[in-house]
Amino acid sequence: MKFPDAFDVIVVGGGHAGTEAALASARAGCKTLLLSHNIETLGQMSCNPSIGGIGKGHLVREVDALGGAMAKAADESGIQFRILNASKGYAVRATRAQADRLLYKQAIRTMLENQTNLWLFQQAVDDLLLEQDRVAGVITQLGLRFYSSAVVLTAGTFLAGLIHVGQSNYQAGRAGDPPAISLAHRLRELKLPVGRLKTGTPPRIDGRTINYSLLKEQPGDNPRPVFSFMGNADQHPRQIPCWITETSEQTHEIIRKGLDRSPLFTGVIEGIGPRYCPSIEDKITRFADKASHQIFLEPEGLTTHEVYPNGISTSLPFDVQLDLVRSIKGMENAHILRPGYAIEYDYFNPCGLKSSLETKAINGLFFAGQINGTTGYEEAAAQGLLAGLNAALQIREMDAWCPRRDEAYLGVLVDDLITQGVSEPYRMFTSRAEYRLQLREDNADLRLTEIGRKLGIIDENRWAAFERKREAIAAEQERLRSVWVNPRILPREDAERVLGKNIEREYSLYELLLRPNVNYVGLMTLPGAGIAVEDKKVSEQVEIQAKYQGYIERQHAEIKSGEINETLRLPEAMDYREVRGLSIEVQQKLNQHKPETIGQAARISGITPAAISLLLVHLKRGFRDGKRSD
Amino acid sequence: MSLPNTDTIAAIATAQGRGGIGVVRISGPSAAELAATMLGRIPEPRRAVFCDFQDENLETIDQGIALYFQSPHSFTGEDVLELQGHGGPAVLHLLLQRCLSLGARLAEPGEFTRRAFLNDKIDLAQAESVADLIAATTAEAARSAMRSLHGEFSAEINALLEYLVKLRMLVEAMMDFPEEEIEVADSVLCNSMLQSIRTKLQQTLAIAKQGCLLREGAHVALIGRPNVGKSSLLNRLSGGEVALVSDVPGTTRDVIREVIQIRGIPLHIMDTAGLRKSEDEVENMGIARTHQIVSRADLILLLLDGAQGCTAEDVGIISGLPPDIPHLLVFNKSDLLEKDHDRDLKSGIYISAKSGEGLDDLREEILKLIGWHHQESGTFIARERHLVALSETLSHINRAFIVLQNAELLAEELRLAQQALGRITGRFSPDDLLGEIFSNFCIGK
Repeated sequence: MKFPDAFDVIVVGGGHAGTEAALASARAGCKTLLLSHNIETLGQMSCNPSIGGIGKGHLVREVDALGGAMAKAADESGIQFRILNASKGYAVRATRAQADRLLYKQAIRTMLENQTNLWLFQQAVDDLLLEQDRVAGVITQLGLRFYSSAVVLTAGTFLAGLIHVGQSNYQAGRAGDPPAISLAHRLRELKLPVGRLKTGTPPRIDGRTINYSLLKEQPGDNPRPVFSFMGNADQHPRQIPCWITETSEQTHEIIRKGLDRSPLFTGVIEGIGPRYCPSIEDKITRFADKASHQIFLEPEGLTTHEVYPNGISTSLPFDVQLDLVRSIKGMENAHILRPGYAIEYDYFNPCGLKSSLETKAINGLFFAGQINGTTGYEEAAAQGLLAGLNAALQIREMDAWCPRRDEAYLGVLVDDLITQGVSEPYRMFTSRAEYRLQLREDNADLRLTEIGRKLGIIDENRWAAFERKREAIAAEQERLRSVWVNPRILPREDAERVLGKNIEREYSLYELLLRPNVNYVGLMTLPGAGIAVEDKKVSEQVEIQAKYQGYIERQHAEIKSGEINETLRLPEAMDYREVRGLSIEVQQKLNQHKPETIGQAARISGITPAAISLLLVHLKRGFRDGKRSD
Repeated sequence: MSLPNTDTIAAIATAQGRGGIGVVRISGPSAAELAATMLGRIPEPRRAVFCDFQDENLETIDQGIALYFQSPHSFTGEDVLELQGHGGPAVLHLLLQRCLSLGARLAEPGEFTRRAFLNDKIDLAQAESVADLIAATTAEAARSAMRSLHGEFSAEINALLEYLVKLRMLVEAMMDFPEEEIEVADSVLCNSMLQSIRTKLQQTLAIAKQGCLLREGAHVALIGRPNVGKSSLLNRLSGGEVALVSDVPGTTRDVIREVIQIRGIPLHIMDTAGLRKSEDEVENMGIARTHQIVSRADLILLLLDGAQGCTAEDVGIISGLPPDIPHLLVFNKSDLLEKDHDRDLKSGIYISAKSGEGLDDLREEILKLIGWHHQESGTFIARERHLVALSETLSHINRAFIVLQNAELLAEELRLAQQALGRITGRFSPDDLLGEIFSNFCIGK
């Protein structure tokens, strides 16, 4: 049957990528349909019950700065909030929240249901409708045909998902959900570059059977961090702590004895798992001299006893899982609620994507989330937002928005994916961002909200709040530049208290703030400094910007010198075998990647500066030939 | 398609060697600004002007012809400044350094041609040869890089890199994985690792400078009163080796430049012939002139008459020498001295340009004073770009000490340090760094 209504954009999948994609597309004014095999699992946290962390928190704030849902949902469901790296510089500080799974899901569901232009429908998608190399809609399990000229596919781990526990395995999308087999077959037929990845999850524990009195408590931070730029701590539900325990030599012995039945070590699992999130069996094998590994016991919510033991992801047989759990301090009598497992799934090599996340092979088809080889809710959400937005922009016949590496972690994420491809599940780290000092959590709004507004995905409320904040920052910076401190009037004790030493000439307050050991609050206690701004977010921003100013200016110079490469586009139809002087290896690589710009080409591994020169020459020639034929 | 190149490049445009004229070419948006700073004016486009090329203290590095071409009427199609000086590699090197310190970037092989091509300055028929040229210059650059990157130097650089990566790994891991139980890169550890890197870097830089000396030589000013035997000394010094006389024709110069070699090291001798004429002028003026000429030398040889010893006039000359440039007193005509003549061996060297006595000692002393420590191995032909890369690396390491307490700033300096070093050794991506972290630490809670 053909569904009577046509849509602008159809989003397939209701996880973190799918929900952000659907919301962004609808916010951008497109009639959007979100299809999920089960509406009850929209916004489901399939793995650990937490949002944020280093690099990931940065992405969440960027999604928020662009009007997305994740930070808001985290504020409404967070039961323990912390700032990681609080003792280090602002650029590497990151927010992390433990979330109540049910509250999180509920928050997402509420936002979806209240979003104008957005329709929800429960049906698994089996096939894509194509017209030549352009997508035209989807066909569901029941044979329903939904039409649209843009489709965002966010299939997560569901594509040909295969769950392993010990030597048994079965097809599934995640524990308790069916996999997407027909769609996976169909996509493989389309000759998209497919691969297999693996990820895992630990057994879940009944908290009533844990002896917390033996464990170290890990409370949330005080004052309590807030995730969304529009949020506040009053939105947070009741707060509870996490707990820390550790494995013992006995645990490791149990694991070692079970390795002969491990699907990971017996070669049953072919997919590649992440190096930064290894299974416990992998950890004790690779780091055999480590006597013990930390385990964080994370509560899954306020209304459940279920606990997520972060650090013992495993696909060992269940009897080994039970023994290993019970060998850990505080869990001697633990009851496992759900077994841990590993899951293998199809992903598509993101080298096949444009920086808009549209597939190069099929026009109008966008991919976001784990289907692109990433892991993590935050990475998924960020891609989802970008794919949904760009699908909408395409419908509105506008240019895609492709954030640059110096603009956003989102830009780093997409650029890494499309230029480097993926060989293990990709997770964000701050060390991936060369312009880390300017890509901070604290300025995500200043970097992105105005862009979002121009693209039509920022509502009035957020925009007004943002403008107030931005103006207040500028006004305070201006004021600090215009207030001068005179060494003859400044009392010595004040100078020493605030500045560490006397000043030798007249300085503006702003100049003094640039000094490494001077802070805003202290500065405002100097006689004649005037009245400090009340809004802490404003004063903090003034201070942070001053502290990083020199570094950021230097980075700007670096960015500017490479800018030309980012704007020089390479024709889609270019055959690199025709470029004179390129080695065959380079020709093949470029033909495989089909980079969109010179900058992207330069970042592909194995592409030398000389190859880039040759490309430039070739481009120029092609252009002149073209001009001549006019 | 127009290609707004955002940066300005500079390079020595004439072949490496000892030609009469050497050209430094500058292309890009800052060319005019550079002219204003270095020449004190922007020459009228396409008019040759004779002027002083000045350093940051407004002292003259060299004099010569400056040519300014305004975009698009230039070789590259950009604003171009050409400085035609007096050839010697050492002077050209100074000129180039000056351009780099004013914000120009050292051009890559073939980059001027590439820009010319991209800006429509070379016609279509030449396109193929441009591609070939780039491929060839790159291959040549790669070959010479291979040549210079073998043996001990390569080992030095790799050891340096390994250590830098190790430190970066510790610092990055500390920031990206604060919840993991990993080795803490505290400031004591960072400090000691930075110290090791700095020491190693300084050593490598010193070796690279040796290599550069071997390739580009040093500048030696030969001064002294008339008739103390400067010309005979020059002839003597160049006698056994290849001597190339490269007096600049057509210009009225006070300085005669010759190139001699001592053990393969090219020495650019500035013979201050002009001093002779200033004899009867005011003495101060003579001193000022000497000063101007010798201030760009790596070494000053003051030739004296051994029989007369250090005269009042010589003392005057010595007092006018720049304190930061080493000088050597050379007492000539030792053959005329009585056997029991009281030789002032502490102050200088006694030679006889006529008999050849003492010349080996003089050669040794000259090499020593220009900083040549010959080693059997470990020396390599350093290129300008190696020195630039190593110096830049060093400056980031020096800044890293200052920001030791701020992990993210420390990380930034280390990133830039490695980026600079990477220009010698090749690319290293963030993913390579993460690979180091994952193989060294048990990450993943």
